[in-house]
Amino acid sequence: MLAQGIKFCLPLAATLLVGCTGSIGGDGASAIDDSIAKSLCVVDTPIRRLTRFEYNRTVRDLLGDSSNPADLLPPEEEVAGFNNQAAALTSSDLLIEQYMKVAEDVSTRAVGNIEALLPNCDPELDGNESCASSFIQDFGKRAFRRPLLQSETERFKAVFDWALADADLGRFEDGIQLVIETMLQSPSFLYRPELGDQTPIEGDIVPFTSWEMATKLSYMLWNTMPDDALFAAAAADELRTKEQIAAQARRMLQDDKARDLVRNFHTQWLQLTHLDSLTKDSGVYPNYDNSIRGLWKEEIQTFVEQVILEGDGSLRTLLTADYSFMNEELASFYGDDVLDSVSGPELRQVQLQPERRAGFLTSAGLMASHANVNQSSPVFRGKFVREQLMCNTLPLPPNDLVIEPPELDPTKTTKEQFEEIGANPACAGCHTLMNPIGFIFEHYDGIGQWRDQQNGKPIDATGQVVQTDDIDGDYDGAPELARALADSTQVQECVSSQWFRFAYNRSVTSEDSCSIEQLNDVFRASDFNIKSLLVALTQTNAFLYRRAVELEPDAAGGAQ
Amino acid sequence: MLKGTLFGGTVAIGLPMLDAMLPVSGAAQTGTAPKRIVFWFTANGTRQDIWSPPANMDLNGHPLHAAMAPFSNKLIFLDGVDQSVTYDSIGDGHQTGMACMLTNAEILPGSLFCEGNCDAGNEQYVGWGGGQSVDQYIADEIAKDAVTKFKSLELGVQVKSSSIWSRMVYSAPDQPVPPREDPNQNFQDFFSDIDSDPFALRLIQRRRKSVLDAVMEEHAAFQSRLGYDDKQKLDKHLQSIRDLETRLAVTTNFGEACSSPELSLPGGTFQQNDMYPVTGKAQMDMLVMALACDLTRVASLQWSRSVSGVRFNWVPQTLDEGHHGLSHYDDSNANAKADLREINKWYSDQFAYLLGLMDGVQEGENTLLDNTVVVWVNELGKGNNHTRRDMPFILAGGCQGYFKTGQHIDFGGEPHGKLLVSLTHAMNKPVSTFGVPQYSQGPLSGLAL
Repeated sequence: MLAQGIKFCLPLAATLLVGCTGSIGGDGASAIDDSIAKSLCVVDTPIRRLTRFEYNRTVRDLLGDSSNPADLLPPEEEVAGFNNQAAALTSSDLLIEQYMKVAEDVSTRAVGNIEALLPNCDPELDGNESCASSFIQDFGKRAFRRPLLQSETERFKAVFDWALADADLGRFEDGIQLVIETMLQSPSFLYRPELGDQTPIEGDIVPFTSWEMATKLSYMLWNTMPDDALFAAAAADELRTKEQIAAQARRMLQDDKARDLVRNFHTQWLQLTHLDSLTKDSGVYPNYDNSIRGLWKEEIQTFVEQVILEGDGSLRTLLTADYSFMNEELASFYGDDVLDSVSGPELRQVQLQPERRAGFLTSAGLMASHANVNQSSPVFRGKFVREQLMCNTLPLPPNDLVIEPPELDPTKTTKEQFEEIGANPACAGCHTLMNPIGFIFEHYDGIGQWRDQQNGKPIDATGQVVQTDDIDGDYDGAPELARALADSTQVQECVSSQWFRFAYNRSVTSEDSCSIEQLNDVFRASDFNIKSLLVALTQTNAFLYRRAVELEPDAAGGAQ
Repeated sequence: MLKGTLFGGTVAIGLPMLDAMLPVSGAAQTGTAPKRIVFWFTANGTRQDIWSPPANMDLNGHPLHAAMAPFSNKLIFLDGVDQSVTYDSIGDGHQTGMACMLTNAEILPGSLFCEGNCDAGNEQYVGWGGGQSVDQYIADEIAKDAVTKFKSLELGVQVKSSSIWSRMVYSAPDQPVPPREDPNQNFQDFFSDIDSDPFALRLIQRRRKSVLDAVMEEHAAFQSRLGYDDKQKLDKHLQSIRDLETRLAVTTNFGEACSSPELSLPGGTFQQNDMYPVTGKAQMDMLVMALACDLTRVASLQWSRSVSGVRFNWVPQTLDEGHHGLSHYDDSNANAKADLREINKWYSDQFAYLLGLMDGVQEGENTLLDNTVVVWVNELGKGNNHTRRDMPFILAGGCQGYFKTGQHIDFGGEPHGKLLVSLTHAMNKPVSTFGVPQYSQGPLSGLAL
């Protein structure tokens, strides 16, 4: 089923460049097949806890608390570039202690406005008991993303009662606060259990309950809890069929909350966090000031958000668009590259010289974060294209190799210097894969500004791309390369696998081959529309089904 | 008085006499101060060529360790100790150096982290560290007969991300322990009790117990519905809640020695590169305070992650590069060598500052430093060749007369697992081997009195 040599077990679903001696061929997708047996390509995801990003958005939607309280929690374990991978997220004493502190802070703030928590109940009029009970039911359902069990209702009522009976507490608000505090530390809030329905539809394959499906959809497409419409659909048990689920997914992608998803994904995929701590040599780059980093990031974020959610949504546009989003300061940084005049601090769409700029690839932020402090870096840029866009895995240099970027030489161009390094036989094996791709970006200096010459010599932005599935050849300048990347099956399938890993919170396994094929088919059929890909991610067997929960370890080793 | 400067304003916290609320007998107050152990990590190797002390142990004028001269009779420099296990383990130099450092165990196979070393046919990916780290082992043993507010304290200075390259403490195989990186938060977590009147403190304890009891019931019910693998995952979470509840019930006895230097807290900037010294100092100040107050007996202070990219803008630097970049230049590059000397000297200055604080805390006839062993570790010997041989280990403090301090020993290639065994002996929790037995056959000879 798999093309020979594809290592789907790798977290990146990567084409592994073994020893950098040769590339391994791609997967030829067959025709879309919607009638795949439900028992195929069902791969269970381990239970996962909310990331800080998700926790913050969840309490925002649950309690109107926009203070990002989860920023206090320890950082997530990061695996192959993403911080939401279920297998890697561990628990620690510190995390559990901070969950407590965060829950205390959030609940203290929440009962500061008790009326907002209880819009339909007044303890003075309706009585403490009655208001507490209805709060536990209503709030509990939103916090746990499902109706509470009777035993849970009783447990939280006991917490409330304890507070009211305590000599030093005793107020209605105290009871409500303790209930919130307890719920926010409960596993049903902190984790996303997807246990499935009781009744198998085929063998040991079970679908998810509508409540579970609402949660799966909202965390996948919004990185937060379900909204009222999803809860209503869950209550009506209307998240069962593929059509119902796809309709919700389409609705959700129209919602503002989808921006969180798009920004979160691209922050990680395009490694935008590099920008937060970037520094540049002010001697070499007098135009650079740390304050521009935020604008660079916002430009890329706005661009991908607009293209995907409000534009044509196409991967081709992401890679090749001759427009971007800038304010006056940013436009002035880009100089002649910007064809429109811009004034004021608000970002707006601007036309760019198409022979100079193409999509996010040539944005100043991306070019600057893949550069050295005092010069461009063909290595970092080539590596970025290889790893993030083509899903190649490049090894780090061998242990015993001494690596250093060349010192600035005023008589040479950066390309000339890196060509010398690349010619070293010890380096050539890997660097022929990276450096020539990086050379194609040589018109952008270490802070991403366009240059026609360096050290008095004209820029040579030609480079030879080798060992790819489908875009080997000579290129001159990034826009030309970007167009080739946009048309490359290898790139298209890489992007779809990156979204797979991010959306499903896990790596691609060998059992995912039919899901991967489905996704790639849909992606291709939609002319590589990211929104279509996202909807398709809700339609695979991997998303729709799981194997029935086994309460004891499987002696035969079948399920996992 | 505990004093802290928080977000520009000074918070002064009175140290009340808390006799009424002390269920635990504070060893520091009863005359027999406890033994403590502290691990101190810096990254990217050192300047091995100038690291050793002179034969007479006079550190005055030493290119790296001059600031430690006042404490030279309380130090042991270990030459010729290798992280041998790292050469058996999967994983690249930094990964093995980091994950094997305190575990003496090989890294687990897995598909989490890409391995740097990529010979054809090699496994490319590795999992987390494969053993409990020695600090956690000692902490678990101590916890069997003495409950402190924290079983152990892991402090970090701009460690930031969580990965095989950034974790050195493991509570068990596959269970990395993150350090506490926010000094502002730490100040609250460690010392806020002191601010509360006993009455308010009891109420907080009562509330938390009530909430955590209910949370644990929730966990039990929740787990009963999970499959086996998920259940395993949640077990750790539940155990952490149990431990938390136990710890919260502890009220610390603040002894005579429990007072504090003034604190300068970095506010929201603690992760910014140029705040590295300020953040580090706040963490050191609080670490010493926490030890003096017997909040814990096992601690670590981790300066950045392995492959540290910190830019040392506050020490003289010729090359405008981060630490890891600098550590990769060839030995023939005089500028890089000078920069690395300054960086490692700065770390020695910090170490001396910590030792000074600890030696200033009187505990009966001894000082806190005398009752402690501080262990300076590093994931590498030297950066540019990633060697894990001849590690730059330094011990400071005699651990209540266990170690024969004031000496420099060349062990000629002994495995570092034996040092870990020595530490368990020093802390009265002796084991015969630790981690991989082959590399930890008994303690290193010559260290103990």
